[in-house]
Amino acid sequence: MKNCLVKDLMIPISEYATVTLGTSLTDAVLALEKAQNAFTSSKYQHRAILVLDHDGSVVGKVGQLCALQAIEPEYNFNDKIEEIKKYNFSEEYLVRLRERYRSEETVLETDHLQDIAEKKVEEFMQKPRPGEFVAENGTIDTAIHRLVSGRHQSLLVTRQKRIIGILRMADVFAAVSHEIHNLAD
Amino acid sequence: MRELEKIYNRIVQRVNINLRELNFDVTPFADQLIPPDQMTKFYAFYGITPDHPLDLHFHHSALAGSYFLGRCRVSNSLLYKSDIRGDELKREKQIFRFENFEIVLATDEMISIENSALVKTLVHNFSHDPETVEKFFIKDTLAMDYSNIHGAPSGGCFLGPFATVDLTTVRDCAIGCYSYVQAGEISHMNIAPGTIWVNSPGNFNFLYTYPEQPLAQYVSLSPEYVPWGILFDFIEEHKDAFQRVFDFVNLDAIESIPNTASLDHFAVVLPRTKIEDNVLVAQRAYIENSTLGRGANAQENCFIINSHLEGLNVTAHGAKIVNANMGRGIFTGFNSFLFGKPESRLTVGKGSIIMPHTIIDINEPLTVPEDHLVWGLVRNGNELAENSIPLEELTKVKSSFSRGRLHFEGKGDLFVKTFQDRIHHILEANGAFYEDGKNAGHAQRNQNLSLNTIQPFHFGEKKGMYPDIQIRP
Repeated sequence: MKNCLVKDLMIPISEYATVTLGTSLTDAVLALEKAQNAFTSSKYQHRAILVLDHDGSVVGKVGQLCALQAIEPEYNFNDKIEEIKKYNFSEEYLVRLRERYRSEETVLETDHLQDIAEKKVEEFMQKPRPGEFVAENGTIDTAIHRLVSGRHQSLLVTRQKRIIGILRMADVFAAVSHEIHNLAD
Repeated sequence: MRELEKIYNRIVQRVNINLRELNFDVTPFADQLIPPDQMTKFYAFYGITPDHPLDLHFHHSALAGSYFLGRCRVSNSLLYKSDIRGDELKREKQIFRFENFEIVLATDEMISIENSALVKTLVHNFSHDPETVEKFFIKDTLAMDYSNIHGAPSGGCFLGPFATVDLTTVRDCAIGCYSYVQAGEISHMNIAPGTIWVNSPGNFNFLYTYPEQPLAQYVSLSPEYVPWGILFDFIEEHKDAFQRVFDFVNLDAIESIPNTASLDHFAVVLPRTKIEDNVLVAQRAYIENSTLGRGANAQENCFIINSHLEGLNVTAHGAKIVNANMGRGIFTGFNSFLFGKPESRLTVGKGSIIMPHTIIDINEPLTVPEDHLVWGLVRNGNELAENSIPLEELTKVKSSFSRGRLHFEGKGDLFVKTFQDRIHHILEANGAFYEDGKNAGHAQRNQNLSLNTIQPFHFGEKKGMYPDIQIRP
């Protein structure tokens, strides 16, 4: 592992599913689905699609959770739950309360899906956060630490200031697992 | 600029500094809160009694219309028509128990008010904070009309009108109007108006929030206007009756009061009122055409009008009972507003607990069954069903329940027991169980109270301020 660098495991952006700013929610979901069904050199599916600006720079990503959050109605009770949280109620109570409030709201309906279909990707994409980057010449040890400490599914790989690829947790884990196998042998 | 204004500006700045994290600016609420001219109109007064230490120290403060009893220090503060009642403070060598600690008091406890402005505020009880057992402090705090600071050391706080902090150490918090907080210790919280929160961590947690619009009819506060609402109007309508008791230092004693009962010099009692044994009527209470049965009490800023209280009723600070029949042993919490009408009276069954800051405002007769807990806003039978629960049912709650706007988590039986124990303690402290010279409380001891007055400067830079005074035996 010592000699293994981030760039050895990353997927270049050119091989990754991307959409551009301005893409609708519908097209983003379809692109995500296509990416996950597509064959890649790794046996692991793409968990997310990248969002590029008009210069081709990565400005965000969209995963399944992100897409579902965009689809979910904006429940009125979220503010109520946030307010009640201040008053020392247990997490267990808040979970039950959230479930109760949700059951009182309308479930997903065709009308709602039609309403949100044209939502733009920039409205719901996840923007890169500090600690989510790793240099292409960085060691895998560094990458593992960032994945673990930030609870990230993937890291954005940089060359100087430009994002050039993605380092997925699945690929890092596979490499570590391979190394452990070698030690055991 | 006069001294009074300088000190007021300084208090506002201190409070704002403490509340900066909440981004809460008290300046618009403080403006016109205490008109300087009012500060010379009213004398301050203090009680002398053999039962409590006489130890008062006023420094660089204004005290208009305020009352002091027990051991109090007031420094760099403005008090307007406030009651600082030190008759429940802990005494030297007394043991204060907290969790597994037994804390022996090194000195008599003292109420210490510093850099604060209190308007028509009640300060009572004692510090429940194990870190400050000898000092019940109120520091860098602005408390608006009819707020209660009850056993609640407070630092860097804003209390809106009719807000109550009870048995809680409060640091750097804004407590919205008509909110009630009893939570042990809180800091850096902005409590929305109309929040009723009773929290004993690990035991129970009770939270009710008033609907915004209906509450606004009763109490409203905004930066643009002076506070307004039905509660203010109600008090304003009865204001004139208090003029007489404050105009004269020595009023004639009102007859036909049993020897075991106490009617404060600064209470208003109007005709066709019957007061039975062991009753306590505190200063600034207003009683008209009502019966207070044996052991009942009416605490500061209470109004009891056209009502019958069977006996052993606790009517806590600021509670109002109008056109109601109250059974035996009912607790009516702080600042509650029970507003029956002549043709639609309210009846409350014995043993019921009306939670602090409850509003019952009806236009049709309504009966609260006995042994019920009632909270929040009740204007008809449907709202009563939503905002009440039989005590027996509540004692069976083991983990949680929610109903309407109420959230409850914890052990229902502990909640009920805690309230009932406290009610018993209040009755005991007030002398409700006095018999054959035993179990004396405030009702009996206050009969030995005499009053003195002190006056402010009426001229010059210090107009409205009081001279530095130390009063000791």
